[in-house]
Amino acid sequence: MAGPTDHNALHEMSGLYVLGSLSREDRAIFETHLAGCPACADEVRSLTRVSGSLAQLPPQIPPSPALRARVLAAVGRLEGSAEPAPRAAAAAGAFGSLSWLAAAASIVLAAGLGVYASQLRGRIGALEDQLREATLRADANERQMADLRRVSAEAQSQVAVLASPDLARVDLAGQPVAPSASARAFWSRSRGLVFTASDLPALPPGRIYQLWVVTAQAPISAGLVRPDQTGRVNAVFQTPPDIPQPVAMAVTIEPDGGVPAPTGDRYLIGTVASRPVS
Amino acid sequence: MWLIWAILDSRRERADEDRSADQLALAGLARGDETALASLYDRHATGVYSLALRILQDVGDAEDIVQEVFTQAWRQASRYDARRGAVVAWLLTMARTRAIDRLRARRTRTQDVIDDDVAEVSDPVALQDAMLLSGEQVSRVRAAVSQLPVLQRVALELAYYEGLTHAEIAARLEEPLGTVKTRIRSAMLKLRDALEGAR
Repeated sequence: MAGPTDHNALHEMSGLYVLGSLSREDRAIFETHLAGCPACADEVRSLTRVSGSLAQLPPQIPPSPALRARVLAAVGRLEGSAEPAPRAAAAAGAFGSLSWLAAAASIVLAAGLGVYASQLRGRIGALEDQLREATLRADANERQMADLRRVSAEAQSQVAVLASPDLARVDLAGQPVAPSASARAFWSRSRGLVFTASDLPALPPGRIYQLWVVTAQAPISAGLVRPDQTGRVNAVFQTPPDIPQPVAMAVTIEPDGGVPAPTGDRYLIGTVASRPVS
Repeated sequence: MWLIWAILDSRRERADEDRSADQLALAGLARGDETALASLYDRHATGVYSLALRILQDVGDAEDIVQEVFTQAWRQASRYDARRGAVVAWLLTMARTRAIDRLRARRTRTQDVIDDDVAEVSDPVALQDAMLLSGEQVSRVRAAVSQLPVLQRVALELAYYEGLTHAEIAARLEEPLGTVKTRIRSAMLKLRDALEGAR
């Protein structure tokens, strides 16, 4: 479908191939090529490492302890191999006839008991310390986990917007005060707004950029935007689900904290296409 | 200087230990040893679950995937070929394939399907050369992902975690197929360089 007649067009399929995102037809074309192209084969091999590392990037969240039991039980049922260990039973039999040995042992035990008791007190103290430490560590883990959940929720909300079926794309162009600035917004009524910008001028103290969703009635504030040192922005905003169909998006400079309606210079403007992406 | 080498050596040894513990556990699985399965589960259930949760965004579905993956590992352990690569890569490939199958089934049910390409999509390539990353490598690759130009990153994430096909990504981002192809390859080459820098 890409009309791959020259090597470059074929070579560029390596990424999609490794991710399993090629159509069956393109995959067959690429695999035929792969068989005779050592450069592509090398690249594919090196990119499988990238694919493997992507699998390990999500925040690591342990599953519930109940799942462990459920999985092990499911596998146990699968094989029906829940037989008791026969060796333990045999051992009990062998010692059953030697009950005098137990009696003798108890005498030796009694002698040692005094020493043992004092050792035990020491061990309990140490165990209590360990328990305290473990409790502290568990608390720390819980806090860490809450942080991880928050970070992952933020990252995922971006993709959630971009994966939504009612996505609309808006390209915003720099205005005379910032001609080199540019931005792109992806907006989904159901899931929110992803906003990315580059080359926004540094903010003077006490000022902030504000993003507006302009409807036929009035501009509605989507949120405040603070670029990083390189002038880039990458942010997700929620918009009200009952918002009227937007006609444009704009970024203005406003007093810190934002304002209910735009007052300052316009830095970026883009109009909304009437047709959604998909 | 020697200290650095000592640290590097110990890290390499630990990775080797993990790897051989996995191989050992898999041999146990092939013999029907349930304690081997428990030890494999204890080492990798978190990784498998976290990936499934990231893709499916649902605890119940992610738990189902964990069960399916370890059941499949139990069934297929005797056919597993150690030359094909690390056990962890095998488990994670199964997890991603199954999670994305489930995601695509969900999308088909909600008739949010762009074209017939969904049914025609190929399986992900097996991760022969993949390995368990150290914490430092994970942070390096994460940093590299966050520094990707946003449209490269989005295209990559839609392909990897949402399981969208080439054509679906192009439609979603309203971009030509060729542009999407180039973006994804560029993104992966950058991550490869970050990964290799971290070794």
